[in-house]
Amino acid sequence: MLAAIEPTTTWYLLLGAVLFGLGSVGLLVRRNPLVMFMSIELMLNAVNISFVALAVRFGDISGQTAVFFVMVVAAAEVVVGLGIIVSIMRRRPGATADDLAELKG
Amino acid sequence: MIFAGSQSVIAQINQWVAPTIDWHALAPELVLIVGINLVLFIDLSLGAAKKWAMATLTGLVFLAAFIPVVTLAVIGDASREMFDGRYVVDGYSLILKAIFLLAAYVLVLMSQNELEEGGYYQGEFYVLMMCSVLGMVMMTSARDLIAIFVALELLSIPAYMMAAWRKRDSRSNEAGVKYYLLGVFASAVLLYGMSFLYGTTGSTKLTDIGASLVDGDLLGLQVLAVVFVLGGLAFKISAVPFHSWAPDTYEGAPTPVTAFLSVASKAAGFVALMSIVMLALAPANSVVRPMLWVLAALTMTVGNVMALRQTNIVRMLAYSSVSQGGFILMPLVVIGTGNAGDSVLRAVIVYLLIYAFMNLGAFSIVIAVARRTRSGEITSFGGLFGYAPGLAVLMTIFMASLAGIPPLGGWIAKFNVFKTVLDAGDTAAYVLALIGAVNTVIAAAYYMRVLRQVWMAPAPDGDVSPIKVPSSIQAALAITAVGTVLLGVLPGLVLRFGDITDLTGALAR
Amino acid sequence: MELLVFVAASAMVLGGALGVILMRNPVHSALGLVLTLFGVAVHFVALEAHFLAAVQVIVYAGAIVVLFLFVIMLLGVDSAEDLKVDGLTIQRPLAAIIGIGTVAIVSVAVLRTRSTIAAGPALEASGDSNIRLLSRNLFSDQVLAFEITSVLLIVAVAGTVLLTRKQSGPTGARKGS
Repeated sequence: MLAAIEPTTTWYLLLGAVLFGLGSVGLLVRRNPLVMFMSIELMLNAVNISFVALAVRFGDISGQTAVFFVMVVAAAEVVVGLGIIVSIMRRRPGATADDLAELKG
Repeated sequence: MIFAGSQSVIAQINQWVAPTIDWHALAPELVLIVGINLVLFIDLSLGAAKKWAMATLTGLVFLAAFIPVVTLAVIGDASREMFDGRYVVDGYSLILKAIFLLAAYVLVLMSQNELEEGGYYQGEFYVLMMCSVLGMVMMTSARDLIAIFVALELLSIPAYMMAAWRKRDSRSNEAGVKYYLLGVFASAVLLYGMSFLYGTTGSTKLTDIGASLVDGDLLGLQVLAVVFVLGGLAFKISAVPFHSWAPDTYEGAPTPVTAFLSVASKAAGFVALMSIVMLALAPANSVVRPMLWVLAALTMTVGNVMALRQTNIVRMLAYSSVSQGGFILMPLVVIGTGNAGDSVLRAVIVYLLIYAFMNLGAFSIVIAVARRTRSGEITSFGGLFGYAPGLAVLMTIFMASLAGIPPLGGWIAKFNVFKTVLDAGDTAAYVLALIGAVNTVIAAAYYMRVLRQVWMAPAPDGDVSPIKVPSSIQAALAITAVGTVLLGVLPGLVLRFGDITDLTGALAR
Repeated sequence: MELLVFVAASAMVLGGALGVILMRNPVHSALGLVLTLFGVAVHFVALEAHFLAAVQVIVYAGAIVVLFLFVIMLLGVDSAEDLKVDGLTIQRPLAAIIGIGTVAIVSVAVLRTRSTIAAGPALEASGDSNIRLLSRNLFSDQVLAFEITSVLLIVAVAGTVLLTRKQSGPTGARKGS
């Protein structure tokens, strides 16, 4: 009986929504820039799930192309982001997002 | 059956034809790509003493990229489309390309001395800058969600690095991290909105999306898509309440980078917003209009109120640029209402052009003065008229123009915006115009405060030796001052932009 | 069968995501991220997006997470972060409200749009044409964006190398090759 139920696009979209929500919670709660950054990766993966599920439902490939570009750009973003984080952590080991408060107002 | 079965794969391969590429239309981008590689490799083999040549070379690349823009404008009056209408070179995109390249050239002039004396890596800085400008130039022609996303990242990612370029200064590091985390977050939100937009219309092409949306009959997911897309773009244009990164990043980043972010990056965000709103979201006006209305009103007001309280000139200019963003948003609110439709694009583009001139000019003066005073406080401008009358007069021009005092450029820009909004002729537009008018008055207060320091106050430390302004900054000042004054005195120059009232492929309204 | 795959993969995705945001040690968070990324790859396979599934494993799980772990180790910040101490006490409930709100709003929108979005099963067999279709699209309509990303990658690498480089002199020292 259960085997007859097939997951529909809606299921994937709901999964994406939950993943996106978890990512945004992580971004707001965590103070370690590296983990905040991982939370953003979760959000990007939520986007990817939605894109692919919707592309398949349309039988249109351009949604998958979009995911391809998201991945390429995410790779570049990670390189740059980690570079910036390394340059800041080298100067101040153990810095958290709250410590970065020299600029305020 | 969703995809074609494997038996037709051969047929599909036979169907594939190489995309026709209009090399002339792509020339500005190609020149920039060649320039990026040229600077990257020449810089490797150049001794530290000759690094100044990189700035000259970069400036030449921007000017070289300008040539095809001019030839395209002279030759073609029809628009050139590539990749099934996903990349369009028309009057709208050519004018914006010209604005970006001109602003980039002025920015090179402004950065040159700062980079040489500040101990930055120079060659790579210009590579990053050219890459970012390439993204902007591409953005003006992108008519597809994917192309817009790639262009947006192409212009943002180098900017994250530029903001953190002053490596030994922890404030610059912090500026980089803050800008980076919020920028990437905004990209994720934008993409999530794009995925729904794609998922409910079945296409990533802006004009197809516009054709699929039906006003008054929007799906819940489409409303959400619009909200996410506009929210993500609002970060890029630092609209309130998505502006919190701007003042910190602007203050922490090296000053030329701040100028770059507050003028070029922001303008590119507006270009993305204009393309998406006018081509794809035109039928979703019932959602777009109220949202942009709130964004515009909040951005103007909060930016101004915060600017009033600042004592640091860069932070003040940061908040002032936030509030100017609100003015640029105003005409977009009235898209598709009353008689306003035609003049919206013109009002925004004219404002972007004039804003680029006056804001870059103001930042050039800040750079020139800070070279001696080593201070970012507004009080450090005390007595400027006494020892540097030239700079004082120019500062007066830029501040008065930012405040919107006739007959300077800023006045024409604001006049166009208000005229467009009032032409719409409904209550919401009138209220927005009223808020804008009140804000213009508030804004005048803090611009005048700077001028009072310049003209009335004594020099803070009694040092009245004249300021030596390097020739490159002099050139930047000359270009921006001439632009600001000329566009104010001869508004006819930009009113010719009236030809570009319509984006290629926009729905008939 | 499809149901089983969906449930299992979703458990991986959500379990990993919870791991990312709840684990105190950044290394554990990174491992949670790997789990999520593999789960997403399984979903891609189930959705017949074979090429993306491969890229997801190779690029995302393979390269990006390794980069994360490498940086964590390099900096020696693998010490636990005290989740109890929180400078902004308002932030925790606020985050919960924003997170739950986002999920709720999107879910309601998805469910109300359900009839238009997904009438039938999302899955259809497509043979091996997935990669062909993708490359055709990539090299015709999106070829410019594709080429432009190469510039982005070069510049990202060049810029990052300089950002992380230890600066030797007061003025930018000569950069060796």
